[in-house]
Amino acid sequence: MARNAAARETVFALRHKIAKIEGRLAERLETPAADDACPAENPTGDATTNATIQPTLQTLIRRDGRPADILLPTGATGLDRALGGGLPLAALTEIHGAETRNCGAIAGFTLSLASRLLKAASDKVGPVLWIGTHEALHEAGFPYAAGIETFFGIAPQSLLFCATSKLNNALWVAEEAIRLAGFSAVILEIRGALPSALLATRRLHMRAREAGRPVFLLRHAGPVEPTAAPLRMSVAPAPSALRHTLAGPLKSSIGRPAFTVAIDKSPAARPGRFILEWNADECAFTDRETPEIRAKIPLSVVPLPGDGTHPAPASGTVLAFPPDQPFTSGRQPARGQRPAHRGSRRTG
Amino acid sequence: MGVADARAMHPFIDIVEADGKADRRLLESLADWCDRYTPLVALDDDNDDSIGLFLDITGCTHLFSGEKRLIDDMTTRFLHQGFDARIGIASTVGAAWAAAHITGRAIIDPGEEAAFLAPLPLAALRIGAAIRNRLESVGLRTTGAIMATPRAPLARRFGAALLWRLDQTLGHLDEAVSPRLPVAPLSVDRHLAEPVTQLDDIERLVAALSITLKADLERRGEGARALALTLFRVDGAVSRICVGTSHPLREPLMIQKLFHERLAALTQDFDAGYGFDLARLSVPSSEPFEVEQTDLAEKSEQNEPDLCLFIDRLRARLGHDAILKPIAVKSHVPERAITHFPFDIGYEPNKAQADNAEYRSQRERPIRLLRPPEPVHVPATEIPDGPPLNFRWRRTFYRVARSEGPERIAPEWWRSIKDEPTRDYYRVEDADGRRYWLYRQGLYETGKPAPRWFMQGIFA
Repeated sequence: MARNAAARETVFALRHKIAKIEGRLAERLETPAADDACPAENPTGDATTNATIQPTLQTLIRRDGRPADILLPTGATGLDRALGGGLPLAALTEIHGAETRNCGAIAGFTLSLASRLLKAASDKVGPVLWIGTHEALHEAGFPYAAGIETFFGIAPQSLLFCATSKLNNALWVAEEAIRLAGFSAVILEIRGALPSALLATRRLHMRAREAGRPVFLLRHAGPVEPTAAPLRMSVAPAPSALRHTLAGPLKSSIGRPAFTVAIDKSPAARPGRFILEWNADECAFTDRETPEIRAKIPLSVVPLPGDGTHPAPASGTVLAFPPDQPFTSGRQPARGQRPAHRGSRRTG
Repeated sequence: MGVADARAMHPFIDIVEADGKADRRLLESLADWCDRYTPLVALDDDNDDSIGLFLDITGCTHLFSGEKRLIDDMTTRFLHQGFDARIGIASTVGAAWAAAHITGRAIIDPGEEAAFLAPLPLAALRIGAAIRNRLESVGLRTTGAIMATPRAPLARRFGAALLWRLDQTLGHLDEAVSPRLPVAPLSVDRHLAEPVTQLDDIERLVAALSITLKADLERRGEGARALALTLFRVDGAVSRICVGTSHPLREPLMIQKLFHERLAALTQDFDAGYGFDLARLSVPSSEPFEVEQTDLAEKSEQNEPDLCLFIDRLRARLGHDAILKPIAVKSHVPERAITHFPFDIGYEPNKAQADNAEYRSQRERPIRLLRPPEPVHVPATEIPDGPPLNFRWRRTFYRVARSEGPERIAPEWWRSIKDEPTRDYYRVEDADGRRYWLYRQGLYETGKPAPRWFMQGIFA
């Protein structure tokens, strides 16, 4: 109780106000506070915390008669905790990627969520509808049902694609499709900017909330715009782990897909950055942060150059773990040995 | 007469080249417009020197209060469009043709054909100029003269075609008029005193027409599988708007919704001009309508009707192949292994296609496929037939951190015509963790240009 009680009260008042504006009720919001307090009581703070909280969440009923947000646990402990239990099912979820070339990771992460959703659902579920503009689907590659089946266990029969020429039409199709009980989830893929983003996302979110089914909004190569979605995550690719064989990790192989997921916005308002691995066989995420997995990962997932320097540096930031041991500096010239033209030019 | 002679006689004459195709287009647009009188409209383009239209108005005249009123109405409307129409009505095609071409504006009662044709020249019989000249050279100058002549010698000297035409004209032989468009089994019209221009008005018209249509469909126990809305503009242009449905439909509200989407998609290319004065809603194809049992809470067992309506609306607005269903095909070539079909509710892939789950390769395939594969510039590989060390794709340089492969995929021998090179696929991961599927087309061979590399897919 070392925290400033007055500041905390202000935060709660503000959250309550936001919840009122967004149409959510305050009951949901008390859980993060309880969660916050948990590490103090239970310093080990792990999965048991979630297990105790989750049932209480699901029994809450809102004043307007709708059940409280049903959450889909992602299976990754860290991510679930940061999200306050899991992914809200009756809501719009935005999944952002910085560049179109990251679309493999963005689509992969979305499909893994959809795959968990289909698996969690009981007997017969409808198809997943994937909507996109022709431009987005052409630039990023058309979804390929064969690969989706191998990696995410979603059969071609439970996939439907809709390509439209205009963004407005794609939004219209998405809005209409959310209502239908025939679809288990709707994925809308948009490349570039979304005009009047707040309005468009609000419409999608309201419909998703009414229908009680998730809508995933995939956005890449666009600016970060205001959104009405309660949850926004940005996804980037991460170097995959090595393949496991009986004889240990297979050298220089490409194993399970991995994603770097950062929470930009969530109702629990806790930021986080996770590296998740997708296990297709068990249809579950593995958090790479857990020590037993970390032990299996070689320290440097990117092999060092054999000889000579690279023609060009890798673009963007490297998201892998920094190697624990320093780079062997044998190949790099020492600071003093650098060519003269690389030094400061202001001397002359 | 040549152009020079014509110019000599009339120095200020305008010379315009004949354009048969444009004439035909005009005639077809007029035929479209004539749909307002009867659905059975045929073009008369047997011979080049006469262009006209045949309208089978059997059973239609009462809608225009008689034949004479019909002719009046048609002449006036054509005149307003800038055409001088010559119209004849008769119980045979030939007699009507003669009435329109020779006398103009004539109504021949049934049985009066012979009396009407007798004083007319031979041109009234729709026979070729060669036969006509030969008949005239022997003194047979009118149709009546031919009718009076014994038939056997005529057939022997001038061929059977002459008597055949004569019999058709007099009604002894049937002559079929083949309509341009298939006739819809059901259609309802609404003539408007004041032309409408607004889309909202047209939607309201559709609602009114579909209520009328519903009664007809119920009487036949059918529902519409396709609907066509024909709008006749006052200046003669006709626009046809068609929508398809995925299950038999007769609810006016649903029909109105479908047309709402279709009209919303048309807004840009929709030209109402001076307005539409006639709207027709027709059902080109229909199917038996099965009434579904609902429980007491008015809930049916399936949610398909909703889905059907959604699919129909989507198609009405975005086209038939707007929504696609992937279907696995027995092929090992990646781009052919999955094909996309327009989604149809009732359509189930046949057993052979559905049962190929074990056939589908368990190898890792990308989750997104580039169609067509994009060329990639690969400066170097470590060993000739090995994976690339780095590559340039979409003007960006990628350094390959790890790679797996090759997986060699040969073209299907039963399909390829010439020797297509094999493809060696590599799964590569770049320094940032993006995983791609590259292939090399062909092999490195001495004396041949280096094989090309392509990017085909993106992994999760």
